[in-house]
Amino acid sequence: MKTTQTIFEDGTHKWTAIVRDPAKPDYLIDTNEYLVQHAGQGLLLDPGGAEIFPAVFSALSAEFDPSKLTGIFASHQDPDIISSLALWLEFNPQMKCYISWLWESFIPHFGGTAETFVALPDEGAGISLAGLPLQAIPAHYLHSAGNLHLYDKQAKILFSGDVGAALLPPDKQGVFVEDFSSHIRHAEAFHRRWMASNEAKRQWCERASHLKIDMLCPQHGAVYQGDDVQRFINWFDELHVGVIRV
Amino acid sequence: MTAELTTSQWHGSGNGTSGAALDLLRIVRINEEIKRVVAVAFKINIMALNAIFLAKRAGNAALGFGVLSNELRVFSKDLRESMISLTRLIHDLVAEVSVVLQESRQDALFRRTLAQCSGNPMLDSVLERRNAQHDSRAQRISGLRRSLRLAVDDAARLVELGGVLAKSAKIEAAYGAGFASSLGQVSGEFDGVVEEIRSSLEILRRSKFFGGSA
Ligand SMILES: [Fe+2]
Ligand SMILES: [Fe+2]
Repeated sequence: MKTTQTIFEDGTHKWTAIVRDPAKPDYLIDTNEYLVQHAGQGLLLDPGGAEIFPAVFSALSAEFDPSKLTGIFASHQDPDIISSLALWLEFNPQMKCYISWLWESFIPHFGGTAETFVALPDEGAGISLAGLPLQAIPAHYLHSAGNLHLYDKQAKILFSGDVGAALLPPDKQGVFVEDFSSHIRHAEAFHRRWMASNEAKRQWCERASHLKIDMLCPQHGAVYQGDDVQRFINWFDELHVGVIRV
Repeated sequence: MTAELTTSQWHGSGNGTSGAALDLLRIVRINEEIKRVVAVAFKINIMALNAIFLAKRAGNAALGFGVLSNELRVFSKDLRESMISLTRLIHDLVAEVSVVLQESRQDALFRRTLAQCSGNPMLDSVLERRNAQHDSRAQRISGLRRSLRLAVDDAARLVELGGVLAKSAKIEAAYGAGFASSLGQVSGEFDGVVEEIRSSLEILRRSKFFGGSA
Protein backbone atom coordinates (compact mmCIF):
# COMPACT_ATOMS: atom_id res chain seq x y z
CA MET A 1 0.00 0.00 0.00
CA LYS A 2 1.05 3.58 -0.52
CA THR A 3 1.64 5.88 2.40
CA THR A 4 0.06 9.23 3.04
CA GLN A 5 1.76 12.28 4.41
CA THR A 6 0.09 15.51 5.41
CA ILE A 7 2.11 18.33 3.91
CA PHE A 8 -0.17 21.22 4.86
CA GLU A 9 -2.93 21.66 7.41
CA ASP A 10 -4.95 24.65 8.50
CA GLY A 11 -8.33 23.77 10.02
CA THR A 12 -10.30 21.76 7.46
CA HIS A 13 -7.92 22.86 4.72
CA LYS A 14 -5.43 20.09 4.17
CA TRP A 15 -2.98 18.74 1.56
CA THR A 16 -2.08 15.06 1.68
CA ALA A 17 0.60 13.48 -0.46
CA ILE A 18 -0.02 9.84 -1.39
CA VAL A 19 3.41 8.42 -2.09
CA ARG A 20 5.66 5.39 -2.56
CA ASP A 21 4.46 1.83 -2.67
CA PRO A 22 7.04 -0.81 -1.78
CA ALA A 23 4.86 -3.47 -3.46
CA LYS A 24 4.71 -1.67 -6.81
CA PRO A 25 6.52 -3.59 -9.55
CA ASP A 26 9.43 -1.75 -11.14
CA TYR A 27 7.94 -1.73 -14.62
CA LEU A 28 5.38 0.84 -13.48
CA ILE A 29 6.66 4.39 -13.01
CA ASP A 30 6.28 5.64 -9.46
CA THR A 31 3.78 8.47 -9.05
CA ASN A 32 2.64 10.88 -6.38
CA GLU A 33 -1.02 11.68 -5.92
CA TYR A 34 -2.25 14.63 -3.89
CA LEU A 35 -5.51 15.08 -2.04
CA VAL A 36 -6.70 18.60 -1.28
CA GLN A 37 -9.39 18.75 1.41
CA HIS A 38 -11.51 21.66 2.44
CA ALA A 39 -14.69 21.82 4.53
CA GLY A 40 -15.31 18.09 4.14
CA GLN A 41 -14.84 17.96 0.38
CA GLY A 42 -11.89 16.54 -1.52
CA LEU A 43 -10.17 17.11 -4.84
CA LEU A 44 -7.75 14.44 -6.02
CA LEU A 45 -4.87 15.67 -8.18
CA ASP A 46 -3.55 13.29 -10.86
CA PRO A 47 -5.17 10.15 -9.39
CA GLY A 48 -2.77 7.86 -11.25
CA GLY A 49 -2.97 4.83 -13.49
CA ALA A 50 -5.53 2.02 -13.25
CA GLU A 51 -2.85 -0.43 -12.13
CA ILE A 52 -2.06 1.55 -8.99
CA PHE A 53 -5.71 2.31 -8.14
CA PRO A 54 -5.87 -0.31 -5.35
CA ALA A 55 -2.84 1.19 -3.62
CA VAL A 56 -4.04 4.79 -3.99
CA PHE A 57 -7.62 4.02 -3.00
CA SER A 58 -6.56 2.10 0.11
CA ALA A 59 -4.20 4.82 1.24
CA LEU A 60 -6.70 7.57 0.53
CA SER A 61 -9.66 5.87 2.19
CA ALA A 62 -7.65 5.37 5.37
CA GLU A 63 -7.42 9.16 5.47
CA PHE A 64 -10.62 10.41 3.82
CA ASP A 65 -14.11 9.20 2.85
CA PRO A 66 -13.80 8.60 -0.92
CA SER A 67 -17.50 9.42 -1.43
CA LYS A 68 -16.63 12.99 -0.44
CA LEU A 69 -14.35 13.34 -3.44
CA THR A 70 -16.09 15.91 -5.59
CA GLY A 71 -13.51 16.16 -8.30
CA ILE A 72 -10.39 14.99 -9.99
CA PHE A 73 -7.87 17.38 -11.44
CA ALA A 74 -5.82 15.91 -14.28
CA SER A 75 -2.76 17.94 -15.23
CA HIS A 76 -2.73 16.21 -18.63
CA GLN A 77 -3.82 13.10 -20.50
CA ASP A 78 -1.11 10.55 -19.74
CA PRO A 79 -2.05 7.02 -18.57
CA ASP A 80 -0.01 7.40 -15.37
CA ILE A 81 -2.13 10.49 -14.63
CA ILE A 82 -5.69 9.51 -15.31
CA SER A 83 -6.23 5.97 -16.61
CA SER A 84 -7.87 5.09 -13.26
CA LEU A 85 -10.74 7.52 -13.95
CA ALA A 86 -13.43 4.86 -14.54
CA LEU A 87 -12.60 3.19 -11.23
CA TRP A 88 -12.91 6.41 -9.25
CA LEU A 89 -16.20 7.24 -10.94
CA GLU A 90 -17.67 3.99 -9.57
CA PHE A 91 -17.59 5.61 -6.14
CA ASN A 92 -19.15 8.86 -7.18
CA PRO A 93 -20.53 8.96 -10.73
CA GLN A 94 -21.26 12.69 -10.26
CA MET A 95 -17.58 13.43 -9.76
CA LYS A 96 -16.11 16.07 -12.06
CA CYS A 97 -12.86 15.72 -13.93
CA TYR A 98 -11.04 18.98 -14.61
CA ILE A 99 -8.79 18.76 -17.64
CA SER A 100 -7.43 20.95 -20.44
CA TRP A 101 -10.03 21.41 -23.19
CA LEU A 102 -7.50 19.82 -25.52
CA TRP A 103 -8.07 16.39 -23.95
CA GLU A 104 -11.80 16.64 -23.30
CA SER A 105 -12.68 14.14 -26.03
CA PHE A 106 -9.64 11.90 -25.49
CA ILE A 107 -9.96 11.18 -21.77
CA PRO A 108 -13.44 9.59 -22.10
CA HIS A 109 -11.56 6.60 -23.54
CA PHE A 110 -10.50 6.04 -19.91
CA GLY A 111 -14.09 6.47 -18.63
CA GLY A 112 -16.70 9.07 -17.78
CA THR A 113 -19.52 10.67 -19.74
CA ALA A 114 -20.09 14.11 -21.26
CA GLU A 115 -21.19 15.31 -17.80
CA THR A 116 -17.96 14.19 -16.15
CA PHE A 117 -15.61 16.67 -17.78
CA VAL A 118 -14.96 20.30 -17.04
CA ALA A 119 -12.83 21.58 -19.92
CA LEU A 120 -10.33 24.15 -18.75
CA PRO A 121 -9.32 26.89 -21.19
CA ASP A 122 -5.69 27.49 -22.19
CA GLU A 123 -5.39 30.50 -19.88
CA GLY A 124 -6.40 28.35 -16.88
CA ALA A 125 -9.39 28.85 -14.59
CA GLY A 126 -10.48 29.07 -10.99
CA ILE A 127 -11.76 25.92 -9.29
CA SER A 128 -13.63 26.20 -6.01
CA LEU A 129 -13.36 23.40 -3.46
CA ALA A 130 -16.14 24.06 -0.95
CA GLY A 131 -15.28 27.76 -1.16
CA LEU A 132 -11.50 27.29 -1.25
CA PRO A 133 -10.20 29.12 -4.32
CA LEU A 134 -7.80 27.05 -6.41
CA GLN A 135 -6.31 28.17 -9.69
CA ALA A 136 -5.43 26.08 -12.73
CA ILE A 137 -2.22 27.56 -14.12
CA PRO A 138 -1.09 27.13 -17.76
CA ALA A 139 1.90 24.84 -18.28
CA HIS A 140 1.32 23.85 -21.89
CA TYR A 141 3.99 21.80 -23.65
CA LEU A 142 5.44 20.95 -20.22
CA HIS A 143 5.28 18.27 -21.29
CA SER A 144 1.83 17.80 -22.75
CA ALA A 145 0.37 20.14 -25.39
CA GLY A 146 -2.56 20.80 -23.06
CA ASN A 147 -1.06 20.90 -19.58
CA LEU A 148 -2.21 22.66 -16.42
CA HIS A 149 -0.87 22.97 -12.89
CA LEU A 150 -2.91 23.76 -9.79
CA TYR A 151 -2.11 26.57 -7.41
CA ASP A 152 -3.49 26.96 -3.90
CA LYS A 153 -2.66 30.51 -2.86
CA GLN A 154 -3.83 30.02 0.72
CA ALA A 155 -1.58 27.02 1.26
CA LYS A 156 1.07 28.48 -1.09
CA ILE A 157 1.35 25.14 -2.82
CA LEU A 158 1.81 24.59 -6.54
CA PHE A 159 0.98 21.15 -7.87
CA SER A 160 3.26 20.98 -10.89
CA GLY A 161 2.44 17.70 -12.67
CA ASP A 162 5.51 16.39 -14.49
CA VAL A 163 7.47 19.62 -13.94
CA GLY A 164 9.90 19.00 -11.11
CA ALA A 165 9.62 15.25 -11.59
CA ALA A 166 12.58 13.10 -10.60
CA LEU A 167 13.17 9.40 -11.08
CA LEU A 168 14.66 8.58 -7.71
CA PRO A 169 16.89 5.62 -6.86
CA PRO A 170 15.71 3.15 -4.19
CA ASP A 171 17.90 4.74 -1.51
CA LYS A 172 16.44 8.23 -2.06
CA GLN A 173 12.74 7.80 -1.37
CA GLY A 174 12.10 10.78 0.94
CA VAL A 175 8.90 12.76 0.40
CA PHE A 176 10.80 16.07 0.45
CA VAL A 177 13.94 17.10 -1.42
CA GLU A 178 16.77 17.00 1.09
CA ASP A 179 19.81 18.02 -0.90
CA PHE A 180 18.89 20.00 -3.98
CA SER A 181 22.11 19.52 -5.93
CA SER A 182 22.13 15.76 -5.56
CA HIS A 183 18.36 15.51 -6.10
CA ILE A 184 18.32 17.48 -9.31
CA ARG A 185 20.65 15.00 -10.99
CA HIS A 186 17.71 12.58 -10.99
CA ALA A 187 15.49 15.20 -12.61
CA GLU A 188 17.75 16.42 -15.40
CA ALA A 189 17.38 13.69 -18.02
CA PHE A 190 13.64 13.58 -17.45
CA HIS A 191 13.20 17.31 -18.06
CA ARG A 192 15.52 17.44 -21.06
CA ARG A 193 13.61 14.65 -22.81
CA TRP A 194 10.02 15.13 -21.69
CA MET A 195 9.73 18.90 -21.67
CA ALA A 196 8.88 19.98 -25.17
CA SER A 197 9.49 23.70 -25.54
CA ASN A 198 12.08 26.17 -24.30
CA GLU A 199 9.71 29.05 -24.94
CA ALA A 200 6.91 27.44 -22.93
CA LYS A 201 9.39 26.66 -20.17
CA ARG A 202 10.54 30.32 -20.10
CA GLN A 203 6.91 31.49 -19.75
CA TRP A 204 6.23 28.98 -17.00
CA CYS A 205 9.34 30.01 -15.02
CA GLU A 206 8.28 33.63 -15.34
CA ARG A 207 4.76 32.84 -14.16
CA ALA A 208 5.92 30.59 -11.30
CA SER A 209 8.38 33.27 -10.07
CA HIS A 210 5.46 35.62 -9.49
CA LEU A 211 3.58 33.15 -7.32
CA LYS A 212 4.23 32.76 -3.62
CA ILE A 213 5.17 29.09 -3.39
CA ASP A 214 6.18 27.32 -0.20
CA MET A 215 5.94 23.89 -1.77
CA LEU A 216 6.21 22.70 -5.35
CA CYS A 217 4.65 19.27 -5.65
CA PRO A 218 5.51 17.16 -8.72
CA GLN A 219 3.76 13.98 -9.86
CA HIS A 220 7.00 11.97 -9.66
CA GLY A 221 9.83 12.22 -7.16
CA ALA A 222 10.03 14.54 -4.16
CA VAL A 223 8.40 17.79 -3.03
CA TYR A 224 10.49 21.00 -3.22
CA GLN A 225 10.01 23.29 -0.26
CA GLY A 226 11.32 26.63 0.96
CA ASP A 227 14.32 27.93 -0.98
CA ASP A 228 14.45 24.77 -3.08
CA VAL A 229 11.37 26.01 -4.94
CA GLN A 230 13.17 29.03 -6.40
CA ARG A 231 16.30 26.91 -6.84
CA PHE A 232 14.28 24.57 -8.99
CA ILE A 233 12.71 27.38 -11.04
CA ASN A 234 16.16 28.88 -11.71
CA TRP A 235 17.62 25.51 -12.62
CA PHE A 236 14.72 24.75 -14.97
CA ASP A 237 14.99 28.19 -16.55
CA GLU A 238 18.57 27.48 -17.54
CA LEU A 239 18.06 23.94 -18.74
CA HIS A 240 17.92 23.39 -22.49
CA VAL A 241 14.94 21.14 -23.20
CA GLY A 242 13.08 19.59 -26.11
CA VAL A 243 16.14 18.47 -28.04
CA ILE A 244 16.66 14.97 -29.30
CA ARG A 245 19.36 13.75 -31.64
CA VAL A 246 18.71 10.45 -33.31
CA MET B 1 0.25 -7.79 2.83
CA THR B 2 0.71 -6.12 -0.53
CA ALA B 3 4.29 -7.28 -0.76
CA GLU B 4 2.94 -10.81 -1.18
CA LEU B 5 1.08 -9.92 -4.38
CA THR B 6 2.22 -11.93 -7.34
CA THR B 7 3.00 -10.40 -10.70
CA SER B 8 -0.09 -12.03 -12.21
CA GLN B 9 -2.27 -10.34 -9.61
CA TRP B 10 -0.77 -7.04 -10.64
CA HIS B 11 -1.55 -7.88 -14.24
CA GLY B 12 -5.31 -7.74 -13.78
CA SER B 13 -7.36 -10.87 -14.24
CA GLY B 14 -4.52 -13.09 -13.12
CA ASN B 15 -4.77 -15.29 -16.20
CA GLY B 16 -4.74 -14.39 -19.85
CA THR B 17 -7.45 -16.84 -20.89
CA SER B 18 -10.46 -16.03 -18.75
CA GLY B 19 -13.88 -17.43 -19.69
CA ALA B 20 -14.71 -14.24 -21.59
CA ALA B 21 -11.42 -14.30 -23.50
CA LEU B 22 -12.04 -17.93 -24.50
CA ASP B 23 -15.61 -17.09 -25.51
CA LEU B 24 -14.35 -14.25 -27.66
CA LEU B 25 -11.85 -16.58 -29.31
CA ARG B 26 -14.60 -19.14 -30.00
CA ILE B 27 -16.89 -16.46 -31.38
CA VAL B 28 -14.11 -15.36 -33.71
CA ARG B 29 -13.76 -18.95 -34.95
CA ILE B 30 -17.52 -19.23 -35.45
CA ASN B 31 -17.45 -16.01 -37.42
CA GLU B 32 -14.64 -17.33 -39.64
CA GLU B 33 -16.73 -20.43 -40.36
CA ILE B 34 -19.74 -18.24 -41.21
CA LYS B 35 -17.59 -16.25 -43.65
CA ARG B 36 -16.56 -19.54 -45.28
CA VAL B 37 -20.23 -20.57 -45.66
CA VAL B 38 -21.11 -17.18 -47.18
CA ALA B 39 -18.29 -17.53 -49.72
CA VAL B 40 -19.49 -21.02 -50.69
CA ALA B 41 -23.09 -19.79 -50.92
CA PHE B 42 -21.93 -17.19 -53.44
CA LYS B 43 -20.19 -19.93 -55.37
CA ILE B 44 -23.44 -21.96 -55.48
CA ASN B 45 -25.27 -18.94 -56.84
CA ILE B 46 -22.86 -18.58 -59.77
CA MET B 47 -22.75 -22.32 -60.37
CA ALA B 48 -26.57 -22.47 -60.41
CA LEU B 49 -26.71 -19.60 -62.87
CA ASN B 50 -24.36 -21.47 -65.22
CA ALA B 51 -26.37 -24.65 -64.70
CA ILE B 52 -29.57 -22.84 -65.71
CA PHE B 53 -27.94 -21.74 -69.00
CA LEU B 54 -26.63 -25.25 -69.59
CA ALA B 55 -30.11 -26.70 -68.96
CA LYS B 56 -31.60 -24.21 -71.43
CA ARG B 57 -29.15 -25.37 -74.08
CA ALA B 58 -29.94 -29.00 -73.33
CA GLY B 59 -33.63 -28.21 -73.90
CA ASN B 60 -36.38 -30.69 -73.05
CA ALA B 61 -34.00 -33.35 -71.83
CA ALA B 62 -32.86 -31.10 -68.93
CA LEU B 63 -36.15 -29.48 -67.86
CA GLY B 64 -36.01 -31.09 -64.41
CA PHE B 65 -32.35 -30.18 -64.06
CA GLY B 66 -33.25 -26.53 -64.85
CA VAL B 67 -35.94 -26.45 -62.17
CA LEU B 68 -33.51 -27.87 -59.60
CA SER B 69 -30.81 -25.37 -60.59
CA ASN B 70 -33.31 -22.60 -59.96
CA GLU B 71 -34.10 -24.08 -56.57
CA LEU B 72 -30.39 -24.19 -55.79
CA ARG B 73 -30.18 -20.46 -56.52
CA VAL B 74 -33.02 -19.85 -54.07
CA PHE B 75 -31.20 -22.09 -51.60
CA SER B 76 -28.03 -20.02 -51.98
CA LYS B 77 -30.01 -16.81 -51.30
CA ASP B 78 -31.75 -18.32 -48.24
CA LEU B 79 -28.42 -19.55 -46.93
CA ARG B 80 -26.84 -16.12 -47.26
CA GLU B 81 -29.81 -14.56 -45.43
CA SER B 82 -29.50 -17.13 -42.69
CA MET B 83 -25.79 -16.27 -42.37
CA ILE B 84 -26.67 -12.57 -42.11
CA SER B 85 -28.87 -13.29 -39.09
CA LEU B 86 -26.05 -15.36 -37.59
CA THR B 87 -23.64 -12.48 -38.17
CA ARG B 88 -26.01 -10.11 -36.39
CA LEU B 89 -26.06 -12.37 -33.36
CA ILE B 90 -22.27 -12.64 -33.50
CA HIS B 91 -22.01 -8.86 -33.53
CA ASP B 92 -24.22 -8.56 -30.42
CA LEU B 93 -22.24 -11.30 -28.70
CA VAL B 94 -18.90 -9.65 -29.46
CA ALA B 95 -20.23 -6.39 -28.01
CA GLU B 96 -21.36 -8.06 -24.77
CA VAL B 97 -18.33 -10.30 -24.34
CA SER B 98 -15.95 -7.39 -24.99
CA VAL B 99 -17.57 -5.50 -22.13
CA VAL B 100 -17.10 -8.55 -19.91
CA LEU B 101 -13.43 -8.61 -20.85
CA GLN B 102 -13.02 -4.94 -20.08
CA GLU B 103 -14.97 -5.26 -16.83
CA SER B 104 -12.95 -8.25 -15.73
CA ARG B 105 -9.80 -6.16 -15.66
CA GLN B 106 -11.56 -3.61 -13.47
CA ASP B 107 -12.96 -6.41 -11.30
CA ALA B 108 -9.45 -7.69 -10.73
CA LEU B 109 -8.36 -4.19 -9.69
CA PHE B 110 -11.31 -3.91 -7.30
CA ARG B 111 -10.49 -7.35 -5.87
CA ARG B 112 -6.96 -6.13 -5.24
CA THR B 113 -8.37 -3.01 -3.60
CA LEU B 114 -10.57 -5.20 -1.40
CA ALA B 115 -7.53 -7.26 -0.39
CA GLN B 116 -5.85 -4.05 0.77
CA CYS B 117 -8.79 -2.48 2.60
CA SER B 118 -11.53 -4.99 3.32
CA GLY B 119 -14.60 -3.92 5.25
CA ASN B 120 -14.91 -0.64 3.38
CA PRO B 121 -18.71 -0.25 2.99
CA MET B 122 -18.40 1.90 -0.16
CA LEU B 123 -16.21 -0.69 -1.81
CA ASP B 124 -18.71 -3.41 -0.82
CA SER B 125 -21.62 -1.55 -2.38
CA VAL B 126 -19.68 -0.83 -5.56
CA LEU B 127 -18.82 -4.53 -5.86
CA GLU B 128 -22.44 -5.48 -5.18
CA ARG B 129 -23.69 -3.15 -7.90
CA ARG B 130 -21.10 -4.44 -10.34
CA ASN B 131 -22.04 -8.05 -9.56
CA ALA B 132 -25.70 -7.31 -10.30
CA GLN B 133 -24.66 -5.79 -13.64
CA HIS B 134 -22.50 -8.83 -14.37
CA ASP B 135 -25.46 -11.14 -13.67
CA SER B 136 -27.74 -9.35 -16.09
CA ARG B 137 -25.00 -9.28 -18.72
CA ALA B 138 -24.39 -13.00 -18.23
CA GLN B 139 -28.11 -13.60 -18.80
CA ARG B 140 -28.04 -11.56 -22.00
CA ILE B 141 -25.03 -13.53 -23.21
CA SER B 142 -26.64 -16.90 -22.52
CA GLY B 143 -29.79 -15.70 -24.33
CA LEU B 144 -27.70 -14.74 -27.35
CA ARG B 145 -25.80 -18.00 -27.14
CA ARG B 146 -29.12 -19.91 -27.27
CA SER B 147 -30.37 -17.82 -30.22
CA LEU B 148 -27.13 -18.42 -32.09
CA ARG B 149 -27.35 -22.16 -31.51
CA LEU B 150 -30.95 -22.18 -32.79
CA ALA B 151 -29.95 -20.15 -35.84
CA VAL B 152 -27.13 -22.62 -36.57
CA ASP B 153 -29.64 -25.50 -36.33
CA ASP B 154 -31.99 -23.68 -38.73
CA ALA B 155 -29.12 -23.21 -41.17
CA ALA B 156 -28.26 -26.91 -40.85
CA ARG B 157 -31.83 -27.86 -41.80
CA LEU B 158 -31.59 -25.55 -44.78
CA VAL B 159 -28.39 -27.28 -45.85
CA GLU B 160 -30.13 -30.67 -45.66
CA LEU B 161 -32.58 -29.32 -48.22
CA GLY B 162 -29.64 -28.13 -50.35
CA GLY B 163 -28.20 -31.64 -50.14
CA VAL B 164 -31.44 -33.15 -51.40
CA LEU B 165 -31.53 -30.68 -54.30
CA ALA B 166 -27.94 -31.52 -55.28
CA LYS B 167 -28.66 -35.27 -55.15
CA SER B 168 -31.82 -34.82 -57.25
CA ALA B 169 -29.83 -32.75 -59.76
CA LYS B 170 -27.43 -35.68 -60.04
CA ILE B 171 -30.31 -38.02 -60.90
CA GLU B 172 -31.83 -35.51 -63.33
CA ALA B 173 -28.45 -35.15 -65.06
CA ALA B 174 -28.62 -38.79 -66.11
CA TYR B 175 -31.64 -37.93 -68.28
CA GLY B 176 -29.71 -35.17 -70.03
CA ALA B 177 -29.20 -37.13 -73.25
CA GLY B 178 -26.23 -35.62 -75.10
CA PHE B 179 -25.64 -33.22 -72.21
CA ALA B 180 -25.66 -35.94 -69.57
CA SER B 181 -21.94 -35.88 -68.91
CA SER B 182 -21.64 -32.07 -68.56
CA LEU B 183 -24.82 -31.94 -66.43
CA GLY B 184 -23.41 -34.78 -64.37
CA GLN B 185 -20.22 -32.86 -63.81
CA VAL B 186 -22.13 -29.75 -62.69
CA SER B 187 -24.37 -31.70 -60.33
CA GLY B 188 -21.32 -33.41 -58.89
CA GLU B 189 -19.86 -29.98 -58.13
CA PHE B 190 -23.13 -28.98 -56.44
CA ASP B 191 -22.90 -32.01 -54.26
CA GLY B 192 -19.31 -31.15 -53.36
CA VAL B 193 -19.99 -27.57 -52.28
CA VAL B 194 -23.09 -28.48 -50.30
CA GLU B 195 -20.92 -31.04 -48.53
CA GLU B 196 -18.43 -28.25 -47.77
CA ILE B 197 -21.19 -26.18 -46.17
CA ARG B 198 -22.45 -29.18 -44.25
CA SER B 199 -19.03 -29.74 -42.70
CA SER B 200 -18.72 -26.04 -41.81
CA LEU B 201 -22.06 -26.17 -40.03
CA GLU B 202 -21.06 -29.35 -38.27
CA ILE B 203 -17.98 -27.50 -36.96
CA LEU B 204 -20.24 -24.68 -35.79
CA ARG B 205 -22.57 -27.07 -33.98
CA ARG B 206 -19.67 -28.77 -32.23
CA SER B 207 -18.14 -25.46 -31.10
CA LYS B 208 -17.10 -25.33 -27.45
CA PHE B 209 -19.05 -22.09 -27.34
CA PHE B 210 -22.17 -24.30 -27.29
CA GLY B 211 -20.60 -26.80 -24.94
CA GLY B 212 -19.30 -28.99 -27.76
CA SER B 213 -15.80 -30.31 -28.32
CA ALA B 214 -14.50 -28.26 -31.29
FE1 LIG C 1 3.17 12.95 -18.37
FE1 LIG D 1 3.96 11.67 -15.27
